[in-house]
Amino acid sequence: MQSQADLMPPSSASPSDPLLRVEGLHVSFRHPVDPPTEALRGIDLTIERGEMVGLVGESGAGKTTLARAIMGLVPQPGRIDAGTISFRGQVMADLGDDALRAIRGRNLAMVIPNPRSELNPVLTVGEQIGNVVRHHLGLGRSAARAAALDMLKAVSIPDPARRLDAYPHELSGGMAQRVVIAIALACSPAFVISDDATSGLDVTVQAQILDLLRTLIRAKDSSALFITRDIAITAHFCDRIVVLYAGEVVEVATVDTFFDRPTHPYSLMLLAAFSHSADLRRRWTVPPDETLPGAGEGCVFAPRCVRRQPRCTSEHPALRRLGDARAVRCHFPVGI
Amino acid sequence: MALARYILRRLAFVLPQLVGILMVSFFLVKLIPGDPAVLMLGPNATPDAIDGLRRALGLDQSLIRQFAVYIGHVFHGDLGTSWQSTRPVVSDLIERFPATLELVTLGLSLALLIGIPLGIAAARAGRGPLRKIGEAYGLLAGAIPDFWLALVLIYVFYSTLHVAPAPLGRLDIALVAPPFVTGSLILDSLLAGDLQALGSALAHLVLPVATLGFINAGPILKMTQSTVGRILASDFIRYAEMCGLPRRVVMRQAIRAALPSIVTIVSVLYGFLIGGAVLVEIVFSWGGAGQYAVQGVLNADINPVLGFVVFSAIFSLIVYLCVDLAYFLLDPRTRG
Repeated sequence: MQSQADLMPPSSASPSDPLLRVEGLHVSFRHPVDPPTEALRGIDLTIERGEMVGLVGESGAGKTTLARAIMGLVPQPGRIDAGTISFRGQVMADLGDDALRAIRGRNLAMVIPNPRSELNPVLTVGEQIGNVVRHHLGLGRSAARAAALDMLKAVSIPDPARRLDAYPHELSGGMAQRVVIAIALACSPAFVISDDATSGLDVTVQAQILDLLRTLIRAKDSSALFITRDIAITAHFCDRIVVLYAGEVVEVATVDTFFDRPTHPYSLMLLAAFSHSADLRRRWTVPPDETLPGAGEGCVFAPRCVRRQPRCTSEHPALRRLGDARAVRCHFPVGI
Repeated sequence: MALARYILRRLAFVLPQLVGILMVSFFLVKLIPGDPAVLMLGPNATPDAIDGLRRALGLDQSLIRQFAVYIGHVFHGDLGTSWQSTRPVVSDLIERFPATLELVTLGLSLALLIGIPLGIAAARAGRGPLRKIGEAYGLLAGAIPDFWLALVLIYVFYSTLHVAPAPLGRLDIALVAPPFVTGSLILDSLLAGDLQALGSALAHLVLPVATLGFINAGPILKMTQSTVGRILASDFIRYAEMCGLPRRVVMRQAIRAALPSIVTIVSVLYGFLIGGAVLVEIVFSWGGAGQYAVQGVLNADINPVLGFVVFSAIFSLIVYLCVDLAYFLLDPRTRG
């Protein structure tokens, strides 16, 4: 079977287009009785070819929802209310189900957390890697098996020939994570999303897996979106950092400028949380003010902000550009 | 190798299970009021004659002793004699059990043919009309008694339309049954090359098989729908979608994962129907094992009842063994 993504005319795509462009994306979750909750409120994000972008934010900020929306699989009962996602110049919403399936896993791959529950329990590792290459690259069974073996070697699984016939329940957490990376990279995708891929692993394995993932992504000349709660990871692996808070991008910066001079109070709070200085943590963290409305007219971060001014609760800040590749959503950014 | 060891271990439990089942049913049957000696000799028997017969039957002994004697006979392949048919219970059951088995097997096959595709369709349809059909069918099949459906079918297809044969047994009265080999009229008439008998046997099977099939498709549909629905919402199917596998491959994986649950409900129904089809047997004068056992209960004829218990217990144990083997093949996690 020929992959349909390759057959698609490169309609509006041109070399100057970014690999991925998300514009004004709004996603909300509908509930039977309660009003819908807004998970993403107007996300703008571009990722260039060969770029690695870190997406950080606490749980509930909308990181996974954004990743799933990019994959074209918004989790139920969520729906896209507004905005577009274009991948290689093509608007994803214009593609039919079959065309989307041909892109997912082929050019747009995702590395997931907790792979032990996400791998199919009744298929061997070899079958699961093989399935992806068979359907996306049109390989036959034996070629797919050989490709699976190569991928297991590439992700440094010990004794790869034997693991090919292992079932997921026979793998350790670290090995299962490597298998998921093997599946994601088997078709040399142009773009890889790593959704908190190492959150369930212990620290030493985590570092190994991340190194491996970065090496493989670089080797295949792919772009990546690294989603994580651990801001330290992004310092090592990414070119740019996007900070998400309550479904909004609050700061975008290159890694160097971000760690050198963060400008959004939330970014400072995140960095302080990971620092060893109790003094720093105290300086940037305040107990949330429950009396302020979370969203609505003001800044979404205002209730937790140490630098809050009257304007913050009455006027919603826009994402302002601060020079090249740098933007912040704050009325009173730090150090500007 | 693991499989052989597993089977042996399972078989080792068959004998104790059988003795346990017999013990429970023996004492339960003995609780039914009614003295076989009185019933056998009729209303004009003298007390002396009744006492004599009771002694001859061993009914004057303690229950424990009677049970020990009975078990001793069972292990020599002797299930006693039915005083109604005055024949050994073993030969009665060898004639009648295949009749029930043929009916139930075909009925259950029809139920599978209806229930599984409808269940899968209903699970896939989400909230669409197919799901409503599935729900309505499940409710109807659960609410309609099988004997009532049988009577309706007889009224429509025999009394009104005259397309079905009279509900009087398994074969046209004018025909001679093919020589007894397996006890299944379909198989025996095929073996004997008797097409006329085959046609008549099939025609007689249509209505009772349709009754059992339509009624028992209900639980199978429900089980298939809920299991496939649950699996379609599971992590590993979501992951398969993220990998961009074609829809039919994803569906195949979901159905494959649902098989153990479907096998379970089928095995339970199979064992249950051996006795549970008795009302349908009576309506169609089928002369099967269930009918034989009910006659025994009504006339304090204990040996046919216990004989039936032995036969269906062995049958159920075989079915459950097959089910465990099926699990073994279907789910690698049970092979540990």
